Amino acid sequence: MTPRALATRLGQSLLVIVLAFTGAFLMLQALPGDAVLIKFENPELGLTPAQIAEIREAYGADTPIWTSFWHTLSGFVVGDFGYSIQNGTAVRDLLAEVLPSTALLGVLGFAAAVVLACVVAFTAMGVRNPWLRNTLASLPSVLVSVPVFWLAMVLIQVFSFRLGLVRVIGGGPVESLVLPVLTLAVPISAPLAQILVRSIEDVQRQPFIAVVRAKGASRWWVLTRNIVRNALVPTLTIAGVLLGELVAGAIVTETVFGRAGLGRLTEQAVANQDVAVLQAVVVLTAVIFVVVNLAVDLVAPLVDPRLKKEVRAAA
Amino acid sequence: MTLAHRHLSRRNLFGLGIAAASLTALTACGGGAQANNQTEAPAGDPVKGGTLTYLDAQPHTSLYPPSAGFYPNGGLVNNITDRLVHQNAETLEFEPWIATEWTVNDDATEFTFTLRDDVTFSDGTKLDAAAVAKNFDLYGLGDAARGLTVSEAINNYKSSTVVNPTTVTFHFSAPAPGFLQATSTINSGLLSPKTLDGKLEDFGAGKGPTIIGTGPFVVASEKIGSEVVLKARTDYAWAPKSAPNQSRAHLDQITYVVTPEAGVRVGGLTSGQAHIARQIAATDEKQVTAAGAKLLAPQTRGVNNGFSLRFRNEVLADKNVRQALSLGTNRQEVVDTLFTENYPLATSVIGKTALGYQDNSSKLVHDPGKGAQLLEDAGWKLGSDGYRTKDGKRLTFTVNEAAPQPRSFDVTTLVSQQWKAALGVELKILRADAGTYTKAINDANQVQVYHSMVGRADLDVIKSQYAGKNRNTLLNRDPADDSIGDTKLEELLTKVASTPDHDARIKASQDVQAYLLDEFYVIPLFEEPQVFGLGPKVHGFEAESVGRPTFHNTWVAE
Repeated sequence: MTPRALATRLGQSLLVIVLAFTGAFLMLQALPGDAVLIKFENPELGLTPAQIAEIREAYGADTPIWTSFWHTLSGFVVGDFGYSIQNGTAVRDLLAEVLPSTALLGVLGFAAAVVLACVVAFTAMGVRNPWLRNTLASLPSVLVSVPVFWLAMVLIQVFSFRLGLVRVIGGGPVESLVLPVLTLAVPISAPLAQILVRSIEDVQRQPFIAVVRAKGASRWWVLTRNIVRNALVPTLTIAGVLLGELVAGAIVTETVFGRAGLGRLTEQAVANQDVAVLQAVVVLTAVIFVVVNLAVDLVAPLVDPRLKKEVRAAA
Repeated sequence: MTLAHRHLSRRNLFGLGIAAASLTALTACGGGAQANNQTEAPAGDPVKGGTLTYLDAQPHTSLYPPSAGFYPNGGLVNNITDRLVHQNAETLEFEPWIATEWTVNDDATEFTFTLRDDVTFSDGTKLDAAAVAKNFDLYGLGDAARGLTVSEAINNYKSSTVVNPTTVTFHFSAPAPGFLQATSTINSGLLSPKTLDGKLEDFGAGKGPTIIGTGPFVVASEKIGSEVVLKARTDYAWAPKSAPNQSRAHLDQITYVVTPEAGVRVGGLTSGQAHIARQIAATDEKQVTAAGAKLLAPQTRGVNNGFSLRFRNEVLADKNVRQALSLGTNRQEVVDTLFTENYPLATSVIGKTALGYQDNSSKLVHDPGKGAQLLEDAGWKLGSDGYRTKDGKRLTFTVNEAAPQPRSFDVTTLVSQQWKAALGVELKILRADAGTYTKAINDANQVQVYHSMVGRADLDVIKSQYAGKNRNTLLNRDPADDSIGDTKLEELLTKVASTPDHDARIKASQDVQAYLLDEFYVIPLFEEPQVFGLGPKVHGFEAESVGRPTFHNTWVAE
């Protein structure tokens, strides 16, 4: 990518983030009620209307929308995301607390998904028995429809509560990651494997494969040297998109396993309409999304030199 | 349950406690009620040391004591703070704790407490009268600028006077007979003056280690949203006199683990990965006991789980309609199909183990035929679709799904079926996002039937639930214009909270119970417990008077 193309691409990325911020802000403002209302007009606190009015004023709950927009935006620019209304903690602290845990879960889950997808796809392609081949090739379609919640419960019941192999409560850092990573990996590996299988099949039908075969290359050689490299580009592209899947999966996984993380935080914030937290989560997700897709765009030409040429031709 | 088996060495000067105890003893013997706040007599000597793992469904949100009504908050505050006065969870009698004795003037507008002089906060500073005064100045008056609310348990608070380092007097603008009990609740947990200088944010999640109390445990560390670790204070030596453990806690550590999934809580308990789990669902009770774990189901001693009929709504303004809804509700079926014996059928507005309880079973009749007739007479005619209409308008109501209450959706669904089949009344269930929900439940035209309960072991509890200035569940005070619909109800409720004489207060509470049922303002369903599952190794676990866990005397026998 030329420096100019890169600059354009970066500009687009920034625009996406700003749009995500504005869109999220407007939508959160448009929701009925607000977090102050939810927390303090809860009848269980038994507050009088006068007390509630005082608190609303102290929190600036009724400032005009544009004032609060600029206030929030200028805060975000300097890294001040405000306070969670639900538990009074600085959103920055909340994010700092949960991010490492979710990042670890996400990276391991994604890595496991890639391994799983490759194993399924390559075995399916490498096997000669047509029955076994079909079964393996259709496995991703089955896995893609497995609900994360159900999968998590089954894994916990079987491996933790029945067999006692891993603890889900009070386990060590590694022990407590095994089942959540597996839970997250399976549904993400499925579309990856699907794309990989499809791409491999497509590449296999290309004439150059027949040429390589004719030259006497073994099945395995062709698969690993010629097919995989060509099949990787569409897979890489879908991997960027699957990031959204990863965040959604983290919400369920972290809730079922009771792990602190971005997913849990989001779930709690949605339940309590904790606007400050949601705003930060949306922007953060947008940033990650943009960065990963940017990375995919930068890496793709390295995998497939043909993409490099096209960029040059366009520039 | 052995009643009053732990007698006081030092009787308090105020007759309230004794009267309360004798009353509870009477109702308990007569009704055979079980408060059931502790596990059976522990076998063997307590084991010192060790870690206990406790599972809660939700993370705590704040350690500010007035917000401890939220169970996860209360479960922590109860163990890291002490109170002036201890309310015996079985007898409901008041016993000395941080205060060694107390006096109250005749009209209950002045309370003077004498304090122990050997109590220290966990940061080493001494607890004195000034510190105690500062606590109640904040809890009694609140500070909106810091987002800190008034404690629901404290009424009519005016000011405090520090008489000397061990004596403090509190002044009230009107009689506040419930104040003594208020000082014993978790909402009045004593914190260090430095901690009390904080804003609401400083009490939030993640700030636990900076919250300084005098309790047997301190917050050692937190992982926001997933785990809180409490460590025992080794120099703790001021437990209430009746406590079996007079020194430091037996346990070294308690790990509170947030486990939102009910299946994981139950499985964690039965597989031995955790020692105690809170909120065992009625449907899971068998699974827990079958695996060798025990159940502890302390009652919450307050207003029963039930429906408030918002009589200021145009349709519910008709007493006949309200009576019909009451007659058409098969409460026994609700209890039998959805719950277990830990959820007794309600026989009044408040629970059998609540102070001031009066058996009102005769006012709670199931007679759907008569109910249907009342609606017919009131001009609501049955249509071919099974619903009644008047002037082209269907007889329809909305009830909220009360997320914190056990099986609220199932309860409301079952009652909805009962009302349709027996009365031809449509009952819709409100499930909505938090913002829509909060707005709807504060509007009698959106939610006409309000599902809720409240636990507190004081006569004031009935006022907390129904008074316009408090929870206002009947919306007797219209939030739109602050007008009061039924002034007589407000008067009766005020009497409960501000009559100095204890017996007269009990009478006032009983008058409210009868009035609420005679007017068909309330349909009480069942007495709501807190259900804990205890692993076989857990001993000495107790719940305080409204079912919050108390770990001071708990140990784990490996």
